[in-house]
Amino acid sequence: MAELRLLLVDDEVEFLEPMEARLKRRKVACGVAQSGTDALALLEKQSFDCAVVDVKMPGMDGLDLLRRLRQQYPALPVILLTGHASVELGVQGMELGAFEYLMKPIDLDELLDTVRRAAEAAKRA
Amino acid sequence: MNLQAEPAARAGENNPYLRLRREMVVVLLCFGLIPLVATGAAGFIASREGLETRTRNVLEAMIKNRKVTVDLFLEESLRQLVLVAASLPIAELSKPSTLVTIRDQARRERSAIVDLGLISDKGEHVAYVGPYKLQSVNYAGEAWFQQVMLRGRYESDVFLGFRRFPHMVMAVKKHEAGRDWIVRATLDTDLLSALVREGGLESGADVFILNRVGEYQTQYSDAHRLMERAELGPVPLHSGVRVVERARPGGGRELCATTWLKADSWVLVARQELPGFSVLAAHPLVMGVLVVGLLLIPPLSYLIARHRLRQIHELEAERGALYESVAQSQKMAAIGRLAAGIAHEINNPLAVIQAQVGVLADALADEGEPIERGDFTTRVKKIQAQVERGRKVTHRLLGFSRRVGPELEPVDVAAALDETLSFLEKEAEAQQIKVVREYQPELPLIRTSLSQMQQVFLNLINNAVDAMQGAGELRLTVRALEGGVEVQIADNGPGIPEKDLQRIFEPFFSTKTSAKLHSGLGLSICLEIVRGLGGRMTVESKPGSGTTFFLWFPKEAAIA
Repeated sequence: MAELRLLLVDDEVEFLEPMEARLKRRKVACGVAQSGTDALALLEKQSFDCAVVDVKMPGMDGLDLLRRLRQQYPALPVILLTGHASVELGVQGMELGAFEYLMKPIDLDELLDTVRRAAEAAKRA
Repeated sequence: MNLQAEPAARAGENNPYLRLRREMVVVLLCFGLIPLVATGAAGFIASREGLETRTRNVLEAMIKNRKVTVDLFLEESLRQLVLVAASLPIAELSKPSTLVTIRDQARRERSAIVDLGLISDKGEHVAYVGPYKLQSVNYAGEAWFQQVMLRGRYESDVFLGFRRFPHMVMAVKKHEAGRDWIVRATLDTDLLSALVREGGLESGADVFILNRVGEYQTQYSDAHRLMERAELGPVPLHSGVRVVERARPGGGRELCATTWLKADSWVLVARQELPGFSVLAAHPLVMGVLVVGLLLIPPLSYLIARHRLRQIHELEAERGALYESVAQSQKMAAIGRLAAGIAHEINNPLAVIQAQVGVLADALADEGEPIERGDFTTRVKKIQAQVERGRKVTHRLLGFSRRVGPELEPVDVAAALDETLSFLEKEAEAQQIKVVREYQPELPLIRTSLSQMQQVFLNLINNAVDAMQGAGELRLTVRALEGGVEVQIADNGPGIPEKDLQRIFEPFFSTKTSAKLHSGLGLSICLEIVRGLGGRMTVESKPGSGTTFFLWFPKEAAIA
């Protein structure tokens, strides 16, 4: 039984693949999606403790996905992770109900720390 | 951004403020002085005409009256003489005592006769009473003597005669005992002068008598002598009263009334100066307004112009400062947006590298599951690929930021456009915007400022991406045109309504209502830059189908 179930959404496969490999070693059950649409489809099939979502994605971008997730899965905490260094975007994300706004590149332990805090906060709620 | 606020007033000839002030002073002076002077002039002309008519009428009435008086005076004098000659025999007239009696009688009656004499037909003075020593004089050769003998009576002009003093005489012929005698009297020229002069006392006119050749027969002032040629010259014969306006010898104008007397041998003249500007002195209020106006209007015009100019200047300076500060914040916003885009470009490969390195590190730390050699190699290659990706970004950025000045250099416009686009492409892709390039092959290089040109591209592409608000098509066209290069940046966004289209190049005009920092200076600055490079910038837009900006850059930019 996995300790934590994490949904990772990013349009870059080059990023998803090694992340998935590292998370597996840490006993984190990891679901990956290359787009918002894929993510929503995956959520239909299984549930997660937390979602880490890239902001800049073609099609449905991270903020759009965040809106949908808040509506459809209000119990699922969402962490935004982006390379785009924009304060406005961060503010916008937090206003839409993101748990945290993180900048790429990020240390895996730091990310997992935030994910755990988010999952615990969601459980308590 | 290479923006400069409106230059403040510069010193020197070309200072537009000084020129404007000069023009304002002139306009204000015209508006102030023209009506004032016109009113003054109209008043002056009207009042002078009125005065002239009045003067003419007074002069005419006066000269008519004087003519009657003078004619009467001369007639009366002659009548007296005729009466003396007719009523007394020669025997009586030859006695000086009789003549004394007659003269004294005449004096009592205020007649003009100052002396009396009886002259024989030989021209000898038979008897004489009067102030002159004429007892032994013989008049036989004198012209007047001949005249009396011939015509029976004679009235002289003023002449010197034997007395060496201007005088006038009257003489009548008397026939008795087969001989001719002449009774002769001298008339008081002073009395005649006074009589004539009297007419002008009221109006201040000069009134005098001239003979046919234009010599003074009476004196109107000490300014001339009897028998002197008058400046007026001989007056042509005419009937009735004639009034003419003429130039005065000392300047100004005068009215001159003339009428002929005494069987057309004397002419009575009345001369009256016409008022000049002194007419105005008769209206102190008008005069005061005119003088005060003339004195006050020029300094007031100057002060008003200076004050207005100062206000305009202050407004301009304020506007300039505002423009500058907004331009600065716009610049910072553009830099911020660019920085965010670049950070994204670099942070993404860094994140991949970090993840891959993490996998390798995990494998080294975890003794249970060693990593396969093939997998290791793949991951290292992927890391190298991401390093290369980041290097390209920084390299491109270096090229972009190195050029900050407006230096001219040969520029490949298509490459410049691509380079600019590379920073915004990611954002465009994220918005599902398709970028279509229509570049004419083998474009000529043009000499221009690459950095300034890219600034314009960045601004316009940014606007296009913003305008489309989601999916769309960004069409970039580059082609050779009119010796230069034309760039079209077209979006298929909502377009710009016609009422806004005319204003989009105005500073501070913006249709963007989002929370994003938009000062509305973008397009006005683009236009300024393009014009500064000697190019053109126009826009076409159809609501519903998109907006196209047309940029044209000349082969050689001319930086002013």
